[in-house]
Amino acid sequence: MVNDSGQLYTMEGIAAGLVMLLTAYLILSTTSIYTPGDTHIPDMQLEQLGSDVLAMMDTPDREGEESQLVGFVKNGTGTCGGDELRDEFLDNCKMRSDDPDENLRAQVYLSYRRSDGSVNTTPLSSVDPEFTGRENAVRVTHWVHLPPGSHSIPNIDTSRPHAVLVEVLLWRV
Amino acid sequence: MACMNEDGQWIVLMGLLVAVGLFFLALIINQSALVGQTTAEGVLEFPKNDIRDLRKAVFDYTDKFGMVPDTDETKKNVQEDIIAISLERKNAVVSFSVGQRVSISGQQAYPVEIHYNNGVTEYDETVYHYRAYE
Repeated sequence: MVNDSGQLYTMEGIAAGLVMLLTAYLILSTTSIYTPGDTHIPDMQLEQLGSDVLAMMDTPDREGEESQLVGFVKNGTGTCGGDELRDEFLDNCKMRSDDPDENLRAQVYLSYRRSDGSVNTTPLSSVDPEFTGRENAVRVTHWVHLPPGSHSIPNIDTSRPHAVLVEVLLWRV
Repeated sequence: MACMNEDGQWIVLMGLLVAVGLFFLALIINQSALVGQTTAEGVLEFPKNDIRDLRKAVFDYTDKFGMVPDTDETKKNVQEDIIAISLERKNAVVSFSVGQRVSISGQQAYPVEIHYNNGVTEYDETVYHYRAYE
């Protein structure tokens, strides 16, 4: 025997079920809000770390003295000085982490104005053999005031002081 | 359905209220994702380190050339270094100038004007820079 009494109760039951399901979904989904920006937070941390290390290396030991970074840049281009700069930079990056962090890599470049006025960018450290160009690298920079005098940067007017830009490409393998 | 009556109107009304409430909750959830994204993008796009870097370079420049007249070739060259390299390597149009030294509460300070624009962020600053050491 089938009749249509109680249809409203059935519909109400279905509606209540849907409301409960929706509520459960809402509650569960409020606990985390995905934002695309979140994926870049490790990059930002790496950038801040590198930036701080460069600023630290550009701080002279005593007032009026030459900073470590200026010293490295002066002897820097070619092979030896730039690699020392890179190694010192990486050592400073790992100083507080209590972790050798063997995966951290860096490559140092120098941008300066040549004697003819054009801007040139030259690698200071020797190229990392594993560098493919597809690493998820961040670039940190620091301005350095280079005093006049002999330095081994190619095609630069050594008779005047320069403002040059030290650029470090920093990534983890 | 033939013999419907009007009992349970309160239940129907409350159901409507719950539905409206759910609608607003859904709206809030929807907006929150958008707000999170735009905030994160804003933080990512803001060139904080570039601007800090530039300020430091300009203050160094002020320390070294504050007393030197503007016509000096070396001073012009170093200023041109900063402007040219900023444009070439950071895609930023940069302009700055250092005014005559003034006395503020007995301290000697240089008024420094810095303008920075990388197409997304524009930053202008006028600051009085005290020389680190005299």
